Amino acid sequence: MMASTTATPFNGIEVRALVKRYHLQPVLDQLSLTINEGDFCILVGDNGAGKTTLLRILAGLVRPSQGEVTLSGLPNPSSPQLRRMIGFVGHQTMLYQDLTALENLHHYARLYHIEHLGKAVSQAIRALNLALVQDQPVRTLSRGMQQRLSLARAMLHNPSILLLDEPYTGLDQEAATFFDVLLQNLHQQGRTILLSAHRPQRLLQMASHVAWLRDGKIYKHVPIKDLHHVPELAAYVQEVS
Amino acid sequence: MKSVIRYLGAVWQIFRKDVQVEWRGRQGIPVMLVFALMIVFLFNFALQLAPDLQAGLAAGLLWVSLAFASTLGLNRSSSLERENNALDGLLLAPVDRSAIFFGKALGNFCFTALVGLLLLPVFSLFYSQNMLRLPLVVMMLLGVANYTSLGTLLSALSIQARTRDVLLPVLLYPLALPILIAAVEASRGVLSGQTFSDVTVWIYLLLAGLLLFNAAGLLLFETILEE
Repeated sequence: MMASTTATPFNGIEVRALVKRYHLQPVLDQLSLTINEGDFCILVGDNGAGKTTLLRILAGLVRPSQGEVTLSGLPNPSSPQLRRMIGFVGHQTMLYQDLTALENLHHYARLYHIEHLGKAVSQAIRALNLALVQDQPVRTLSRGMQQRLSLARAMLHNPSILLLDEPYTGLDQEAATFFDVLLQNLHQQGRTILLSAHRPQRLLQMASHVAWLRDGKIYKHVPIKDLHHVPELAAYVQEVS
Repeated sequence: MKSVIRYLGAVWQIFRKDVQVEWRGRQGIPVMLVFALMIVFLFNFALQLAPDLQAGLAAGLLWVSLAFASTLGLNRSSSLERENNALDGLLLAPVDRSAIFFGKALGNFCFTALVGLLLLPVFSLFYSQNMLRLPLVVMMLLGVANYTSLGTLLSALSIQARTRDVLLPVLLYPLALPILIAAVEASRGVLSGQTFSDVTVWIYLLLAGLLLFNAAGLLLFETILEE
C-alpha cells in the first residue's frame, strides 16, 4: 500500500526572518516563531520589545519591512480571506462610543458578512454576559464591560486564530477572572491563541507555551510544562509578574 | 457578481455607521451648519454690494463657507475612527480596504451636501439671488463630491500624524484650489445667467477631478492606511 504524499496543511502561525523598522530603527530583527494549531502562547517581553508590532503584523495591520508571515497556510495576513480567520483585540477597543453595544456588534457582523447575523450577535452577547448593557452606548460602559465587548467583536466571526494584545489591561479582579474562564474555553475549543501580557503569571495555568521577545527576536519559546528547565525565562516571568 | 455585492455592501455599511453615529451624537452637521451660517451673516453685513455684483460674491461665499464647513466635517469623520482606534476594526474586516474610502467619502459627501442644501435658501435671502435652481444644485453637488473625495483621501494620509488636525487643512486647501476655482466659476456662471456651453470647461474640470480623486482612493487607500 502506498503512503499518501499529501502534506497536512499547517494551520498555525509561522513567522520567518521577520524584520520591522520604524524610521530605520529595527523593532523586530530576523524574528522567527512557529505556533502550532491549537496552541495558546503567551508572548512576554519588556516595554518596547516589539510585542504589539508583532501582533499587528500578524493581524495584517502593519506591513513588515522583510520576512514571511503565514497563517493557516496562507501568506499575507492583509488579504481579506485571511482576515476572516483572525480575531484581534488591541490596546484599544475599536468600538464607536456613541453607538450601543448591540449596534457596534451589528456593524461588525455586517462587515464580516456573517450569515444569521441576529443569532451570531445574540450568541456573542450571551457568551460575554453583556445582555444587561447591550442597549447602552459604549461611552457609558465600564472598562471591563468595554473589554468584554471588544472580545465579543473579535469573536463574532468565529475566528480560528486569536491575537490578543494585553487584554487584561485595566480590568478589575472580577472582569479578569471572567476573562480567564473565557480564554480557557476558547483554548479548549481548539483555537490558536497568541496573547501578549505584562504580567503572565495568571496565564501560566491555562496557556500551553510561552515565548520571550527580546532584542527584536524570540529569545526563548518553550512549552509551559518545560518552563522550569529554562531558569532564565522562569525567573523573568516571576520577576515581571 | 457576489464579490461586487459584498463590496457595495461594505461601502453601504460604513456609510450607514457614519450616519448612525451622526444621528446619535449630532456633533458634525450642526457645527458645520453654524460655522457656514456665521460666514454668510458676517459677510452680508460687512459687504454692502450693489445687486449686480452679488451674483459673483454669492458664488464665492457659498464655496468659502462650504469648504470650511466641510473641513470641519472631515476632521470630525476622521476623529471618529481615531477614537478607540476604531479604524483598526475597519481594517481588520475581510473587505477590500478601498470600500472604507468609498464608505467614508459617501458619508462626508452627504453631510456637506446637506449643509449646502440648507445654506442655499439662506443665501437667497441675504444676497437677493435665487439660489434654489437645479443647475446650481447640480454644480454644488459636483463640487462637494470633488472636495469630500479629496478630503477623505487626505484625512487618511494625515490620520496617523501627530499634527493631524492642522495637517489636513494644510494639505487640503492648496490641492483643492483648482476644484474650488472651477466650482466658483461654474456657480457664478449659473447665477449670472450664462449658458451651459459657457461653463462647460469648469464642469469638465470638476468631472475630471472627481474621477482622479476616486481613482486615487481606489488604488492608494490601502497603502496609505498601512503602517
